[in-house]
Amino acid sequence: MKDKAWYPVLFMFLVTAIPTALLIGLSQYTRARIQANTQISFEKAVLCAVAPDSAPTLRGMALHQRFLAVINTNISAAAGAYRLMDGATVKAYAIPFAGKGFWATIKGVIAIAPDKTTVLGFQIYEQSETPGLGAEIAQPWFGKQFQGKTLAAGVAPIIFRRKGEPLGPHDVEAVTGGTQTSVRLERLLNDAVATWRAALINARTAP
Amino acid sequence: MSPAQPKSTARSVTLDALWYSNPIFRQILGICSTLAVTNLVLNTLVMCVALTIVTGLSSWTVSLLRNAMPRNIRMMVETLIMAFYVIIVDIALRAYWPEMSRNLGPFVGLIITNCILMGRSEAFAISNPPGISLLDGLASGAGYSAVLLLISIVRELLGMGTLLGMPIPFFAGPHWDKWVIMVMPPGAFFMLAVAIWILRSLGSATEEKPS
Repeated sequence: MKDKAWYPVLFMFLVTAIPTALLIGLSQYTRARIQANTQISFEKAVLCAVAPDSAPTLRGMALHQRFLAVINTNISAAAGAYRLMDGATVKAYAIPFAGKGFWATIKGVIAIAPDKTTVLGFQIYEQSETPGLGAEIAQPWFGKQFQGKTLAAGVAPIIFRRKGEPLGPHDVEAVTGGTQTSVRLERLLNDAVATWRAALINARTAP
Repeated sequence: MSPAQPKSTARSVTLDALWYSNPIFRQILGICSTLAVTNLVLNTLVMCVALTIVTGLSSWTVSLLRNAMPRNIRMMVETLIMAFYVIIVDIALRAYWPEMSRNLGPFVGLIITNCILMGRSEAFAISNPPGISLLDGLASGAGYSAVLLLISIVRELLGMGTLLGMPIPFFAGPHWDKWVIMVMPPGAFFMLAVAIWILRSLGSATEEKPS
């Protein structure tokens, strides 16, 4: 039977169909759990960004409950930003951003103080950039640079500078060896901040 | 008729995989992940367990199917089998250990391109029974793991002053100037070269001399 012309086709079909069916089953079984993990990593990024000096050590449901307790998730009322609340007072805005990196989607959060200018924190919670190079954007040293920086007016609120260049109040150091990642991250971060600002102005001027 | 091949025993298969034909320092296979994940012992440990399981099960499955597998499509089938096990590991990590899945990033998916998997399938599993093929795959994974763990212990200790994230006396203290290069990619090149040098020197007496 192995000598028949159709045999390799049938064999290949079977060894493709059976594992694929099993993988679809496994994927369906774990889908809800993976989605919950993704949501929790986003919530952790928001909490770490708005209060970088008291990052939560909580995990799972406990972290989710803390997120719901302190973060106002009605983002349409804040031009797309999540808000850290202290009673009725806004303590910070957390603006999510996402877009194409060098290899895959980069997702992160930038937190802004109530003055809408000072950066409180920066977190990346999903990326698949080159390990050791572009992936440095997810390292603590990179995120820490943003703390205390102020957003510039115009279309480039945060400017990525090459290593060694003098850094101003709106500037952070780009990742050496990760130029493509840095360029893309700078663009998608600034797009998100600019969109948030425009939405705030629209909300203020709306009748 | 081809000449009779010496029969592989469990002992010879294990010794070959761990020492005489070790995938890392003898065959220089699977180097990409060696360089990429060895800056932390925990990441290395998880990567090693994942690779060992995938290599073992892939070899076992290839061996089970070897008599029914058409020879002209065998490499496609082997790749498909490896991809199947790699995706299972990837889904399991994403569902039950998301932090580790994020730490390892694309390297779990890249296990499929690890030459050790295809190497063991083609060199052993395709012509041996399932039990011994499973052992060969697991032992090859263990041989890979032993060298990677050795490299990662040195890198994390010298580069960060910790082991499995726990501070180690002296190395985590103010008197030890941390070797930053050890946690960067070049540190992996240096450590791999040193590991190959030392381990091959230890076994140089048993190596055949070039004719």
